[in-house]
Amino acid sequence: MAWADIVTVSPIVAAVLVAAAILVVDLIWPSRTGPAAGVSLLGLAAVAGVILVNGQTAATAFGGTYSADALTTFLDLLFVAIVALTILFAPDYLGSRDLPLAEFAAGLVFAMTGAMLIAAATDLLVLFLGLELMVIPGYLLAGFAKRDGLSTEGAIKYFLLGSFSSAILLFGLALTWGMTGSTSMAGVAEHLAAIAAGGAPLSAGLAVGLAFMTAGVAFKVAAVPFHFWTPDAYQGSPTPVTGYLSVGPKVGAFALVLRLFVGALGPIKADWFEVIVVLAAITMTLGNLVALTQSNVKRMLAYSSIAHTGYILVGLAAYAAGRTEGLQAILFYGAAYTFMNLGAFAVVGALQRRPGVTSHLDTFAGLGRREPVLGVLMTLFLLSLTGIPPTAGFFAKANIIIVAVQAGGPTAILAVIAVLNAAAAAFYYLRVVVYMFMREPAGETEQPRHGRLAWTGLWITAGLTILLGLFPGPLLDAANIAARVFG
Amino acid sequence: MNLTTVPLLSAITFAPLVGAILVALVPRRRADLVRAIALGATLVSLVLSLYLLVGFLPDRPGFQLLEQTDWIRPFGIQYKVGADGLSVAMVVLTTTLTTISVLASFRPIQERVKEYMISFLLLEVGMLGCFVALDLFLFYVFFELVLVPMYLIIGIWGGANRIYATIKFVIYTLVGSLLMLVAILGTAFAFQAAHGGSWAGAFDYEQLRQFHFDGTLQFFAFASFFLAFAIKVPMFPFHTWLPDAHVEAPTAGSVILAGVLLKLGGYGLIRFAVPLFPDAARAFAPLVIGLSVVAIIYGAVVALVQPDLKKLVAYSSVSHMGFVTLGIFLFQEQALQGAILQMVNHGLITGALFLLVGVIYDRTHDRTIARMGGLAAVMPVYAAAFGFFMLASAGLPGLSGFVGEFLVFVGTFAVNPAVAAVITFVMILAAAYLLWMFQRMFFGELSAFFREHLGKLVDLRPVEALTLVPLGVLVVIFGLFPGLILELVQGTVNDLLGSAVGASVLHPVFWQ
Repeated sequence: MAWADIVTVSPIVAAVLVAAAILVVDLIWPSRTGPAAGVSLLGLAAVAGVILVNGQTAATAFGGTYSADALTTFLDLLFVAIVALTILFAPDYLGSRDLPLAEFAAGLVFAMTGAMLIAAATDLLVLFLGLELMVIPGYLLAGFAKRDGLSTEGAIKYFLLGSFSSAILLFGLALTWGMTGSTSMAGVAEHLAAIAAGGAPLSAGLAVGLAFMTAGVAFKVAAVPFHFWTPDAYQGSPTPVTGYLSVGPKVGAFALVLRLFVGALGPIKADWFEVIVVLAAITMTLGNLVALTQSNVKRMLAYSSIAHTGYILVGLAAYAAGRTEGLQAILFYGAAYTFMNLGAFAVVGALQRRPGVTSHLDTFAGLGRREPVLGVLMTLFLLSLTGIPPTAGFFAKANIIIVAVQAGGPTAILAVIAVLNAAAAAFYYLRVVVYMFMREPAGETEQPRHGRLAWTGLWITAGLTILLGLFPGPLLDAANIAARVFG
Repeated sequence: MNLTTVPLLSAITFAPLVGAILVALVPRRRADLVRAIALGATLVSLVLSLYLLVGFLPDRPGFQLLEQTDWIRPFGIQYKVGADGLSVAMVVLTTTLTTISVLASFRPIQERVKEYMISFLLLEVGMLGCFVALDLFLFYVFFELVLVPMYLIIGIWGGANRIYATIKFVIYTLVGSLLMLVAILGTAFAFQAAHGGSWAGAFDYEQLRQFHFDGTLQFFAFASFFLAFAIKVPMFPFHTWLPDAHVEAPTAGSVILAGVLLKLGGYGLIRFAVPLFPDAARAFAPLVIGLSVVAIIYGAVVALVQPDLKKLVAYSSVSHMGFVTLGIFLFQEQALQGAILQMVNHGLITGALFLLVGVIYDRTHDRTIARMGGLAAVMPVYAAAFGFFMLASAGLPGLSGFVGEFLVFVGTFAVNPAVAAVITFVMILAAAYLLWMFQRMFFGELSAFFREHLGKLVDLRPVEALTLVPLGVLVVIFGLFPGLILELVQGTVNDLLGSAVGASVLHPVFWQ
């Protein structure tokens, strides 16, 4: 192990140190919110700094199994943002329920380490290692409210199906390794390119491997029909955890998709193109249809996150149809989705400040009158999730659609399906607005106070939701640079 | 006058936005200050738009007062605005009607005044932006921006069934506009692909106008654009959201809905759908003409049997807007002139009619025609005003409603006398449902329902009169001198018929 390798993986080292520091701080000042939050946020800022400095030069480490390139930098920064925002939103909710912030924050940072490893993985084994590192803290977090039956149930479901899907994916990876003789993505890609150039069909082993990998990945991104764990895990988890689960592991899973399907399986993209088209179509449609019938906002957002997975898969389908622009569209959508969805969950969490308040639609009744600012911010996030300009969600969707239209053929039809879905989605997103502004408060008079950290997070997510809609140029450039890693 | 140095169009468009921000900063309890700021902001926009009207040079071809900067550079998307005669006419219509609507909201809106005024001002930004945007992406953004405030205005300040109505309005509009987004992006890509992969100008209206899209793309793109605008107009059979939205919307919301939002549909057809995809427009024309004739007849027939006063006016809009789509798709000079005139005049007349409906609703909280009767004796000024705008709507010569329909009629006759004969009957039908309504409301003995509410039947208040007088004056002026509008928009008419659709200009303009 050379010193240069350590320097290349320094963001991960920094992240582990931050997680450790949070635990140490908790030993010194047990169960105190301030120090834990302070160390986490400062530590994450430091990690972001290390990522930025490190991102200046592309390098590989540990025999080419880890690649610090533009894609890694882009995704790493996004992961840091996700975790930092989640930590901003958490204290109010956790504090009122006597749940410790330090363990929560440490768990998040450990999960982030796994996600960062996925983003940089150029080897099948490292990829799997990163995946497990990312999801295992996620299982813990889902069951974080251990005295709450729903939380435990959600965590168990999440854990069982998560392990199951990891095993499926691992089996696919193993078959691929067996058939190509390499665990390095470049090696796999080279071998597959030779097959694709020869025009021969995939061998049975590779075809089975591809099928297993597709199914495993579909589980992880929560694509229909592999989505069943999502609603229970989301609804049962403490709301800040749900917010994190809806974006963190999702963006992480898409990082895995990029590294695995584009980096390693790119040469045989014609073989997985059709599967992705079908997955994208049914994922967005079914996610939206089921979301239409939900009366619990957390569960509704869970199904809507499935629909958003479908939109992102359209970008992947466009890539498979030969449009490399599909990759930047995936990255841009991931970032836009992160901010608007975290914002929406933050509002849900803020409403549940007092223990016992559910996330049922009734909780939102008259919010526009009780807490106008919160109501307006929620409206902004929901409009963005719907895809109405001038918001981040709108441009992200337009960006996906333009790439899909460029790709033509079945992908262009996906674009039409996507917009029809967006129109249907307007119904359930706007229903929350109806409750907030067009109904009277249901007897609730006492206003919960929201902490300064929560407000900071809300204004950051709201600001980015608007800014990325009005001026998407800089992020678009960054996404383009990151996507160019794949040539 | 040199207007090129000031970003006049941006100033007009975003003055209400400044107003909205100021309103947001005012404390909630200062309702009067909120109202004053909102009115002030719309007045600024109105005055600037009148300045635009005076300074605009109708004889100069193409777009004037262009403003152009890069917005989303990787896709060549620009902030580009400019105006031709049609834009100017629509901008002035919008600023006039919005100012009047804000004024008309002073009394009826007492709840959440601040949010209401912010919504209204943002609505104006969206509408004005649509009429000046020359970048398709920018246009789409403004087009959708209109949706949200209107959704809130109907949903928060509307009638009993407002939530159903507002959701229906949003979903209908969104289905159309999102498909249009796909079409916008598709045409941009076709342009990009034909220009060696460079996105420069791919959303620029003027550049896209020069470009000839191939047949299949034209077909699908036109179909999407058409659907979006047909829902907005609304054309039969996409009109079913309109009566619900109108009945539930507060008065000022109805005024804007009928006066400006429906015009967005007509404007979109003239500005984008037809000239960008002329071949497809020609192919679709018989269908559109057929649907327009159906809308003209259907709207009138359904209006005849409406028990609710506001619904009657709403269905009359379907009929009147049918003349607009008919006039556009005949590709004939008089018909197109008539369509544009009809857009302006329908905005003025129907806007006024909704204000008048609002007056009686304000007094009795009821709009059932069957319960009314004998109102002329109690509210004579109101009766006179109602009669005036009713006759204008029925197309009485000398008032502006007549000219637009007559020109469309002349154009139709030149192209197809049989269709012209059919729509003549509708002019009689229109007279029938309007006069019958008027007779039931105002003549005869005072109805039992009105006797119960006699104390509340106050005649027109000064503010109400103030909102109606400018509209009445304009109805007379444009009725006597339609050339004022025709001169302004002649450039747009020539441009559309000359280059895009390729129809020869057969007839001289006989109104000048």
